[in-house]
Amino acid sequence: MNEQPSSTFNAQDFRRLVVSGAGCLEANVDAINALNVFPVPDGDTGINMLLTLRAATSAELPDAASATVGAMSSALARGALLGARGNSGVIFSQFMKGLANGFAECERADGAAFAAALRAAADAGYQAVGNPVEGTMLSVMRAAAEAVHPPDGTPDAPDVLRVAYEAAERALAYTPEQLPVLKQAGVVDAGGQGVVAFLAGMVSFVSEEPVALRITAPEGGLESAAANVSHEFLEHTEEEMYGYCTQFVVQGEGLDPDAVRDQVMAMAASTVVVGDDRIVRVHAHAEDPGPLLSIGAALGALDQINIQNMDLQHEEFMSLHGYGGDAPEQAEAAALAVIPVAPGDGIARVFRSLGAAATVSGGQTMNPSAADIIAAVQKTNAAFTIVLPNNKNIVLAAEQAAELSESPIAVVSSRNVPQGMAAMLAFNPDLTGEENAEAMRGMLDSVRSGEVTTAVRSTTIDGVDVQEGQAIAILDGALAAAAATPNDALAAMLESAGPEEGALVTLYYGAGLSEEAAQEAADAIAERFDGIEMEVHEGGQPHYHYLVSIE
Amino acid sequence: MAVRIVVDSASDIPAEVAGELDISVVPCTVFFGSEAFKDGVEITKDEFFQRLTTGNVMPTTTQPSVGDFLDVYRPLVEAGHDIVSVHVSGKLSGTVNSARLAAAELTGATVEIVDTELASVGVTLVAKVAADAVAAGADAAGTAEAARNAAANTEVFFVPDTLEYLKRGGRIGSAQALLGSLLSMKPILTLVEGEVHPREKVRTKAKAVQRLRDIGAAGAPYREAAVIHRVPEEEAREMAEHLAAFTANPVFTAAVGASVGAHTGPGVIGFAGLREG
Repeated sequence: MNEQPSSTFNAQDFRRLVVSGAGCLEANVDAINALNVFPVPDGDTGINMLLTLRAATSAELPDAASATVGAMSSALARGALLGARGNSGVIFSQFMKGLANGFAECERADGAAFAAALRAAADAGYQAVGNPVEGTMLSVMRAAAEAVHPPDGTPDAPDVLRVAYEAAERALAYTPEQLPVLKQAGVVDAGGQGVVAFLAGMVSFVSEEPVALRITAPEGGLESAAANVSHEFLEHTEEEMYGYCTQFVVQGEGLDPDAVRDQVMAMAASTVVVGDDRIVRVHAHAEDPGPLLSIGAALGALDQINIQNMDLQHEEFMSLHGYGGDAPEQAEAAALAVIPVAPGDGIARVFRSLGAAATVSGGQTMNPSAADIIAAVQKTNAAFTIVLPNNKNIVLAAEQAAELSESPIAVVSSRNVPQGMAAMLAFNPDLTGEENAEAMRGMLDSVRSGEVTTAVRSTTIDGVDVQEGQAIAILDGALAAAAATPNDALAAMLESAGPEEGALVTLYYGAGLSEEAAQEAADAIAERFDGIEMEVHEGGQPHYHYLVSIE
Repeated sequence: MAVRIVVDSASDIPAEVAGELDISVVPCTVFFGSEAFKDGVEITKDEFFQRLTTGNVMPTTTQPSVGDFLDVYRPLVEAGHDIVSVHVSGKLSGTVNSARLAAAELTGATVEIVDTELASVGVTLVAKVAADAVAAGADAAGTAEAARNAAANTEVFFVPDTLEYLKRGGRIGSAQALLGSLLSMKPILTLVEGEVHPREKVRTKAKAVQRLRDIGAAGAPYREAAVIHRVPEEEAREMAEHLAAFTANPVFTAAVGASVGAHTGPGVIGFAGLREG
């Protein structure tokens, strides 16, 4: 049934193209994650794009032979929009939406239609972000679109795809010239690489030979992988079952991601296993999540466990789009709710103590999807909801949730937890939702925000030399210090922040630190600076030894 | 025969303001355990806070008794005066009830009782407007009406150092919701319909004072304004100078007395502003 498509694509061809693109992305997901240019553990561009594509291909799709390309691309885009995670995933879902807009009137897609749809995809991507930056997946997608636009009249869709792919690859190679931070790290843009991988997968599907994808990994990074999209992969994906989407992180020593992947794949579908010898992230779909967790527990400490019943998600998706089905369980209706995204249990507790109706778990390396946010909003069932993303990589997904949600959502674009806390304090149930959103936005810049984490690679950023494994401190988004221990890095960061007398410094200590260690750090800072107040709270966040607010 | 104004000690009225405007003060009573002190009569503000911060017994307060009111009302009535009695919110204190019972004892006397739904210097500002009405020739009914109008146009904002005292004294109102907070904060509180209500939450004293100034400017212009405090005099004067720029009459500062201080604790600063109605 997988015969090579002809010079035009029907609906099922288009679906297989997308599945093939996803397959290539999956085969290269580790390498794409490793193209991370900042030495903090946020290398999740590949996984975010992959999970977004998975949401597209596992959405309710038309299967009638009579379905049009327009209907198929629209169904895929809907799934992507709801499942989008992280900024790269959200932008990618906008590409999918643009493609669907381009194909809206098409029964089959010929070369001209494909060219027009690529153009619409690139435009939709640019429109999705407030400040488009060149040297990213946006420029790569635009280059792909421009190479085939205006259409030269060729009716051959596979040819259009090949031309677009080659242009995308050239644009990707040029990204270090556009973004100095890429050049400094010696990498191409990770999101752009994801787009190229996706297009490579599509081209593989229409070609006799698999496309060879070369990903230049950064120093100490991962080996490149070839784009070998097998027909087995396609069939496997077509048979994909529902069940439980199971995600977790294993922390330990001497871990072997490849061995973990083999074990997980033996009992689950949609397996994505990435990581290194100290931390392995697992994403898989299984009928029973228990045995998967047992695999992880046998290897090290489990963390960030997130299990979702996809059958229920499927029903929610259906009801969200007016296909009927049971309404999700709902709380008693409130007028107004605030839902922050919280990267740890402690952070969630603090937000709730300040009046948050619910929290969505997620953070730097676990970006919730638009659908996750909408599910929390529906469950809270308030007439108006304010969402605090609390991470710059979650802002777009929150905005996408606001657009897709039936009940009104205002996003107060907090880029980190301290900003979210400052905004939360401004929440006043006496005011309207819009008045609150306005007041909360006004508080975002009232705090300085710091974080202390462990460098995942050696590099030089913002003039600071960083060795892999060192503790690094970031103040207001810029690298402030690197030191041997988290407490030393924290102290050095405070030194460069120079808090004024009367300032309040709040430490939220992470999952890997003890309260005693955090208190010790606080005492040292209080002794160093006259007249500042210190407050220590358990944050419970992964990866970050400390989240710090200075106000 | 004239109209005379009476307030209770929870108005925190400074002695010089009371003296200048012929305003009589009925003291509330503050208890440390079984020891009772009439506010401002048997215990000074400094003595009260000295005991509050160094002693291990938390004070409680009680409204003036009917007898306390009669001690003030009776001589005024016997001198042929009508009375307009201006008081702290009936939702924070039973003072207006004692006043009503005392008035009922005085057959034939004219006693108008005004529940300002305010506290501290908010009550004092209303009493000042009532005194102005008397000076302009108003009778008791007209003076009471002027006082009620003034009360409706007066707002009180304050920042306690801690919510502990409001909580213990049962006066915390809807600021109760703030008690669950895991983060320390300096809430800006106000009075809404006679009860304590949170207005804003900020995390440091410096920001809270800045926000108080902003709120003061946003509510201006005022006919009358006053600062209430238990902080260094200089900080209170700075706030008064800030408010003076938008206030028609001179702005005074008042130190918190025992009746109010038992519920705010030390370190409190706030203001009342009365807009032209």
